[in-house]
Amino acid sequence: MKSLSLIPWMLLEKLINELLARDPGSLQRRQKLVGKSLRFDIKELPFELTVSIDEYGLRLTTVSEGETDCWLQTELGVLPELSDSSNLTRLIKAGKLDIEGDPMLAQQLVALIKELDIDWEAELEAKIGAVPAHWLSQIWRKSRQQVADSLQQSQRWATGVLIDEKKILPARIEFEQHKQQLQQLRAKIERLERQLREDS
Amino acid sequence: MNDKKQDSIDFGYQQVAREQKKGLVANVFNSVAAKYDVMNDVMSFGIHRLWKRYTIDCSGVRSGMKVLDIAGGTGDLTAQFSRRVGPTGEVVLADINDAMLKVGRDKLRDKGYVGNIRYVQADAEQLPFDDNTFDIITIAFGLRNVTDKDAALRSMFRVLKPGGRLLVLEFSKPVAPGLNQMYDFYSFNVLPKMGQLIANDADSYQYLAESIRMHPDQDTLKGMMQQAGYDNVDYQNLTGGIVALHRGYKF
Repeated sequence: MKSLSLIPWMLLEKLINELLARDPGSLQRRQKLVGKSLRFDIKELPFELTVSIDEYGLRLTTVSEGETDCWLQTELGVLPELSDSSNLTRLIKAGKLDIEGDPMLAQQLVALIKELDIDWEAELEAKIGAVPAHWLSQIWRKSRQQVADSLQQSQRWATGVLIDEKKILPARIEFEQHKQQLQQLRAKIERLERQLREDS
Repeated sequence: MNDKKQDSIDFGYQQVAREQKKGLVANVFNSVAAKYDVMNDVMSFGIHRLWKRYTIDCSGVRSGMKVLDIAGGTGDLTAQFSRRVGPTGEVVLADINDAMLKVGRDKLRDKGYVGNIRYVQADAEQLPFDDNTFDIITIAFGLRNVTDKDAALRSMFRVLKPGGRLLVLEFSKPVAPGLNQMYDFYSFNVLPKMGQLIANDADSYQYLAESIRMHPDQDTLKGMMQQAGYDNVDYQNLTGGIVALHRGYKF
């Protein structure tokens, strides 16, 4: 069903463009990309995804037609790392990224999405009024803090159980000690090997 | 299909004189223009948006291109092309029907699509443009209503630039097993009633169902495009062949 498979991309495109429209700063970041197109061959997807940028936003298509300014082969999880150009060489060497064309375009596109800065409180304010928006934002911030706290707490608890109570994992200091002993052992073996070679 | 060789021509299931068809089709669209968009959404359950979007994706449109949207009606394709060709490109929305053109123009202007769109009342059989003018030509759900389809295809070929492509989006012959009976029941029993209910016009929607059945099937249309001079003609069935997207190039 060619037409039905378009739905997720049309929705994603709409969402991205709505978000871009809500961040006035994105307009300037987008300018450098206007008129350009990039094609992503993402391991997790069964087809290539082409992104074209115009003055009004991003266009997504799964139909691979014509040439693009940049072609990338990568994995979904690697995409956020592309915003930092210093990562590109490392990713290529690690076999996580293959790129043809202008790599700066990919970096700029990912940065455009990652650096979205939306004032949600102001957006809400326009829709439901200042007081309810402020109240909702406060609840949101508080609940986020609570979630973060409880996550940290459960992480501490899990560490305690695994290391001290059940003794399943070693403590960091034990691990470091073990690592050092291993290094010393390796050096000793190398010395012995050398000695053996010299003797024979 | 050999429209030129006969004095009468199909108008739905009726045979009418060739010179009458244009007027009869005009009556249909004058009657449905105001409710055209609502009816499209209701009749196709919104799927016409996906068909049109797929057409855009297959057009290879880029910034700066010149696009002709024939039988563009209420401007769905034109709106999307306008964004994609940008300020350096141009989209011409052409329709033979003045009422449809007006609805399209008002809709697009209200939505802020201005600057790179031109509105032209034109007959697809005799397009009023210079040779080799457009990079892309589309005709979505329009070719069916044209009296002399071969002449229209030739006229489009003439105004297409070398390297340009024509995309024909049109109802076609369902190929998915079992779909045919369901589709027939829907077209002849449900569709006219919906037309009566929403647009207060059952006859126009009866014509729609009949004209779809009289339209050449996928392979016949492909042959007609090749006959008119297009190269690398291919087609893709959408939604089980209810609709087909034909594509041909001028080299």
